[in-house]
Amino acid sequence: MPEEGAGKGLAAADRYYQDYGFRARELKNQGRKIIGYLCALAPVEIITAAGFIPFRIKGNVNEPITKADTQMETIVCPLVRSCFDMALKGNYEFLDGLVIPHACDSIVRTYDIWKYNLGLSYNHFINMPHTDDDSSLEFFKAELATFRKSLGKFAGKEISDDSLVEAIGRHNQNRAKVRELYGLRQSEPPLILGAEVSQVLIAAMSMPVEESIELLSSVVDEVKGRAGAPAKKSARIMVVGAQVDDAAFIKLVEDSGANVVADDLCPGGREHWSYVEVTKDPLDGIAERYLRKINCGRTCRQMRGTYQEFLEERFGQIGRAIKDFKVDGVILYLYKYCDPFGFDVPAMKSYIESRGTPVLYLEDEYSMSTIGRLRTRIQAFLELIGSR
Amino acid sequence: MTEEKKPEERKRRRTATEAASTVAPMVKAMIADVLKAKEEGKPIAYSFIYCCYDEILRAMDIVPAWTENYAGICGAKRDAQRFLERAEAENLSRSLCTYALCGLGFDAWREELGEMPPEPPWGGQARPDVMLGSGQMICDPRNKWYHAAQHYMPDVPVYDVAMPWIPFEDDYDYREVQDYYVKYIVKQLRGLVEFLERHTGKKMDWDRLSEVVELADRTWDMVIEAYELRRAIPCPMGTGDAMNTMVPLTFMMGTQQAYDFFRGLRDELQLKIANKEGIIPDEKYRLLWGGGLPSWFALTDFNYFNSKGAVFPAEVTYRLIEPIGRLDLPKVSDPIEHIAWRWTKYWTYWHDKARKRPGSHPDVEHLINYIEDYTIDGVVMHEAFSCRSWHVGLIWHLNQIKKVYKDIPSLILESDIVDISTYNEADTRARIDAFIDTLEAVKSRGR
Repeated sequence: MPEEGAGKGLAAADRYYQDYGFRARELKNQGRKIIGYLCALAPVEIITAAGFIPFRIKGNVNEPITKADTQMETIVCPLVRSCFDMALKGNYEFLDGLVIPHACDSIVRTYDIWKYNLGLSYNHFINMPHTDDDSSLEFFKAELATFRKSLGKFAGKEISDDSLVEAIGRHNQNRAKVRELYGLRQSEPPLILGAEVSQVLIAAMSMPVEESIELLSSVVDEVKGRAGAPAKKSARIMVVGAQVDDAAFIKLVEDSGANVVADDLCPGGREHWSYVEVTKDPLDGIAERYLRKINCGRTCRQMRGTYQEFLEERFGQIGRAIKDFKVDGVILYLYKYCDPFGFDVPAMKSYIESRGTPVLYLEDEYSMSTIGRLRTRIQAFLELIGSR
Repeated sequence: MTEEKKPEERKRRRTATEAASTVAPMVKAMIADVLKAKEEGKPIAYSFIYCCYDEILRAMDIVPAWTENYAGICGAKRDAQRFLERAEAENLSRSLCTYALCGLGFDAWREELGEMPPEPPWGGQARPDVMLGSGQMICDPRNKWYHAAQHYMPDVPVYDVAMPWIPFEDDYDYREVQDYYVKYIVKQLRGLVEFLERHTGKKMDWDRLSEVVELADRTWDMVIEAYELRRAIPCPMGTGDAMNTMVPLTFMMGTQQAYDFFRGLRDELQLKIANKEGIIPDEKYRLLWGGGLPSWFALTDFNYFNSKGAVFPAEVTYRLIEPIGRLDLPKVSDPIEHIAWRWTKYWTYWHDKARKRPGSHPDVEHLINYIEDYTIDGVVMHEAFSCRSWHVGLIWHLNQIKKVYKDIPSLILESDIVDISTYNEADTRARIDAFIDTLEAVKSRGR
C-alpha cells in the first residue's frame, strides 16, 4: 500500500469508505487519469489496460437528492439519481471520463444527461445486449472492440493484447481475494461482519486494482489473526438485490440481531464470483464474463430445457450460497423503480421458499429516512426464523 | 376485494377526424379476432410494439396479442385497478411498468381461475402459445415482463429478440458501427423465425414476407404523408386523435387495413385543409406533444386543451417512422435485412443534423425540427411515473432546447399510463390553465 494512502486493513477500508474518492483524488493530483463508471457491467479490465484508474461512481444514502432533480426525473432509480446528485455536487470532480454500460433503463436513459451535464473529456456508452445467445455475444464483442479503440484514442495509444491480458490477470486476482474474504463468512459464527465486508468492497471500487488487491489481502490477514470473532446471532442471513453501495442496510440487519453471511449483490457475490478466462483474443474472455457469467437480472437467459431448469439457471447461485453459507433466511432488498430485479421477485421468492428458506421482500428508497420502518420488518422476520 | 371493483362510467372522447373515431371499434374487433383465433387453434403470440417482428408474424400467419394495448384498453376503460392490485398481491412493486403489472395481474388471475377474470374488458386477453420479448433497447419491462409471466404460464416459451440502436457519441460516427448492428439484428430475427417455426408448427413464407415488408414501407410513407398535412393552419388533426390513429400504425403494420386507414386519413385531412376546417374554429396556440405516453384514462385532456384554443399539430410519441426515401437504405433483397436496416437507419436519422448544431442531440434536434416545421408555440410532455423508457430525459430535453435553440414555454404533466390513482383532474387542468396563461403572455409580448 503506498504511503500516501490510508494504510492497511479494516481501518484503511473504513477510511476509504467514509471518504469515498479520497484515494482517486490523491492519484489524480499525482497526474493519473480517472475513468468513472456505473454498474458492475463496465469492463474494468479495458480501462485498467489503457492505463486509467477505473472508479465506480456511488451514491450516498445520507445525502438528500437535490441538484439531480433539476435535470433528472424522480422516476429514475433513486440510486442512479443519488450517484448523479453526488457528481453534480462536485464529489467526483477528479473524473476525466465516464463509461456507462447498457445496464438498465435508469442508466441507459440518463446517459446523455450525465454526459452533457458533467462535461467530461471522455464519454462512452457500451451497448450490452440483454440476451446471452451466440449472436449477442458476437455483437457484444464488437461493442467492446469499439470501446477499446475509442479509449485507446483517448489514452493516446492503442490498447494492446498484452496489456489486456495483464489487466485481466490483476482483476482476476482481485476477485480471488474477494472469494477469500467471503470464505471468512462461512464459519459459525462468521469471522467478519457483513457490514465490514460491504465497506471493504465499496472501498475497493475506488482505487487501482493493484491497491485493491493489497487492501483485500491486508483485511483477510487482519481478520484471520484478530482476537474475538463477531458474536453468533440468532440467524444467518443472505441479502439479495441489485446494487447496494452503502453498508447501512447490512449494518441494520446485523444490528437487528442477525449475522449477514452471504449476498447476491453488487458490489458483492454476484459481481466478484466469476473470472475472465484468458483467451487468444482477450475480448472473447471479457465478453463471455460480462454477458454470460455475471448472473444479473438485467441479462435474460434464453430458456433451455424445462422451466425448473431455467429457474435454476437464473437463481441457482442463490440456492448454492444458501447451502454453502448455511443461510437461515433471505432478504430481497430492492430499490423502487428497479425493473430488472422487480419483475423477478415472484419467481425468485418462490424459488428460494421452495428450498425451505424463508424470504423477506423489502422495497426501499435509497435513504436513511426509511431505517425505522425497515428495522421493524427485519425484526419480525428474524422472530419468524427463530420460531421455526 | 379486487373482484368487487367496477370500472367508472365515462363518456367517449370527441375526435376531430372521422378516421380517429373509427379506431375504438377497430381495437375491439382486433381483440375479438385474437379470441376467435384462439378458439380456432391458431397460434397466439404475446407481442410488443416496435419490435420489428410484426411483418414476420403476419407472413407466418401467427396472431399477435398486443399486451401493452390490452393494458392500455384496461386503463382507458378505467378498469385496470383490479389487475394492478392483483399484481401487487403477487409481490410485484407498484413502481414497475403499469402496462406490465396490469398484464401480469390479468394473467395470474386468468391462470388461477382457468378462465377469464370476471367481466374482462372487451372479452379479455387470450392465453398465448409463445411470448416474444424484446431484449433491447426500448425498455427493461420488455425483456422482463414475459419471463415474469412464465411464473404463471411455465409451459409457454419466450423468445427475446434484441433490437439495439446506435447511440449518439462524440468518439465515433454511427457509420463506423452500423454494419455489426445490422448483422446482429438480422441474426436475432432469423433466430425468431426458427423459434416460431419450432413452437407453432408454422413455416415462414419468404415471398409473403417480402410482400408484407413492401406494404409496411408504403404504409410508413402514407402515414408521414398524412401526418405532415397537420402542418396546415388551422390544424386539421391533433395529438388526441393521433393517440387513436397509433392503433393501425403500431398494431396493424404490414396489413392492407393499416395502409387503407392512412390513405383514408390523408384524404380526409386534404379535404379539411381545402375547406380550412381546423380542430377548433379559433386556433390560438399550436403545441407539440414533446414526449411521454398519454394517460389512457384521461385523453379528454386533449379536448380540454382545445377548449382553451390550443391544438397539437405534432407529437413524437408513437411516431417512430420516417419517410422510407429519406432513410438512405441500402438496396437489399432479403426482407429481414431490409427490416434491420430500416430500424437502424430510423434511429440514426437525426444524428447528422444534431452534429451540425453544437450541444444538440438527435432527440433534441427532432423536437426542434418539429417546433419549426409545425409552427409550434409551446411544448407539452407527460411524465408517467411507472415508465422509465419514454419518460426519462424529458426535463433534460427541454433544458437543451433552451440552451441550443430558444426558450419556449413548456409544461410537464405528471400521472401514469394505466394507474388512474395517480391522476388528479382538477390539478391537471389547473396546470393546463396556468400554461395557457403563460402562452398568452408570451404571445402578447411578441405582438
